[in-house]
Amino acid sequence: MNGAFIIASKDLRNIFVSPLFYVVSGICSLIWFLLFSSRLADFIFQSSMQMMQSQGRESGGLPVHFYVIFPHLSMVNLIMIFAVSAFTMRLFTEEKRNRTFDLLLTAPVTSTEIVIGKLIAGVGTAWALLAIGALYPVSLAFFGAMDWGPFASSLLGLALLSAAYVAVGIFASSLTQSAVVAVVLALVFNVMLWFVGVLADRSSDATERTIIEHLNVGEHLQNFMKGNVSLSGVVFMLSLVFLFTFLTRQVVESARWR
Amino acid sequence: MIEVRGLTKSYGPHKAVDHISFSVRKGEVVGFLGPNGAGKTTTMRIITGFMPPTSGTASVAGFDVFENPLEVKRRIGYLPETPPLYGEMTVEDYLRFVARLKKVERSRIASLVERAIEKTQLGEVRKRLIQNLSKGYRQRVGISQALVSDPEVLILDEPTVGLDPRQVAEVRTLIAELKGHHTIILSTHILPEVQATCERIIIINRGKIVAEDSLESLGRRVSQSQAASRVFVRVGRASDDLKAQLQKIGGVRAVQLKDADRYEIDTDGSKEVAQAVAGVVVTSGVGLLELREEAFNLEDVFLKLTTSEESQLKEGALT
Repeated sequence: MNGAFIIASKDLRNIFVSPLFYVVSGICSLIWFLLFSSRLADFIFQSSMQMMQSQGRESGGLPVHFYVIFPHLSMVNLIMIFAVSAFTMRLFTEEKRNRTFDLLLTAPVTSTEIVIGKLIAGVGTAWALLAIGALYPVSLAFFGAMDWGPFASSLLGLALLSAAYVAVGIFASSLTQSAVVAVVLALVFNVMLWFVGVLADRSSDATERTIIEHLNVGEHLQNFMKGNVSLSGVVFMLSLVFLFTFLTRQVVESARWR
Repeated sequence: MIEVRGLTKSYGPHKAVDHISFSVRKGEVVGFLGPNGAGKTTTMRIITGFMPPTSGTASVAGFDVFENPLEVKRRIGYLPETPPLYGEMTVEDYLRFVARLKKVERSRIASLVERAIEKTQLGEVRKRLIQNLSKGYRQRVGISQALVSDPEVLILDEPTVGLDPRQVAEVRTLIAELKGHHTIILSTHILPEVQATCERIIIINRGKIVAEDSLESLGRRVSQSQAASRVFVRVGRASDDLKAQLQKIGGVRAVQLKDADRYEIDTDGSKEVAQAVAGVVVTSGVGLLELREEAFNLEDVFLKLTTSEESQLKEGALT
């Protein structure tokens, strides 16, 4: 496994040295800032209205988690789909284009080590971006309005889900030499994950419905965001990561046979 | 050190490498020579474990390339046709990365990187990004990368491509320096390269080995069927009379008039012939401008071996 860490540290270094990460995360922060601050302003307005209506009577107020943090994290998730695809597209295409893939394939490392290395690098980058996205809700802690439990479980869900996006992105990247094709493929695959949910609504059969619901990324993420960390949710996300990592390994291994 | 037995690689119906067998002893420098598309790169890629053969075996230091690829890869330094470089890394960082990837022990990495930089004279660019380097430097970084793990076997696929003549000479000196310490296979389609660096040549054409021998005996082999040396004569004015006179000299096999004033005289290689030619030219009074004798070089061997087969094939197709 040592080979995986060597490749991962090389890729992480190259990602954080190149301007791409900073440009993408800059754009993401800008979007998150605009949406988060307007949500927050809206929330403050709503709650002061409610306070006025209740006229000093004791009331719980609006839960900030559901009104501000929840939509923000959903937005983080949406943006992650695009941002992760942008980071992962180059992980394999660049190696192939620069012919450095030859170096990896003739080095004493296995295909599995190469793919795991890429996965670590991709997940590291995705989590760095996720951490930036998480800063906005954390800032609310200064005003004492923070509900840490559901926030932590939402972050766990997002962390797992973005790892799945990374695995999908790397898989797409392993299929082609062109970064553009890789990013489009990654987006298509990731969006397809989300469209499984649509099938559930169209299905009439009860068992079929339950099966599809278990495969529904949205459903699982909702659970995490509500604060329910379920084993099935964790296992589902991890199996997505495993599935696409396995597929990538097969693609890399097959490159040795052509 | 390297054993190749019955190696075949087919791409569909096309056989890139067709039943090749050869072996390389420890410390030997072997030149792999052949026109473009002869199968040099494919053979090298199989030895490095980059791709498996369709049939046949290859082993390095006793390890089968297919059964034990990781052990083989640890022992090989490989420079592919296009040097595998990360443009966004500095030369030093890149070499350190390759050393780690090749599983060099931690304690040796620093000294081996130093050695590779020194051997390929990359000292002045060591802190620069590879993407900003000239083609010659990149090629040298590529060679450096192959060297950095101090491998037992070095496989260099056209190591001097894209270098200027001075750098080509430097690379050749470098390969000569590495001789003995490493076992080296290098491929090229440039003849003087093997002449300058290799002890043994394997000439490969259309996926088959057409000749395998030391430099001298290859030369000898051709000379038995053809002239052993060629005398070039340049005169003030050429005449048919002179050509006839030259043909009469004992030991001369053929005389050709090239351009308006140059003769190429194929001889059997004995010293007296050149002297006799000089005598004839001087006495005929045509004004001797230049006279030199050249032993048949590898170029002729190569052309003969790789083209004769082709012409045979063409003839076969016609009849």
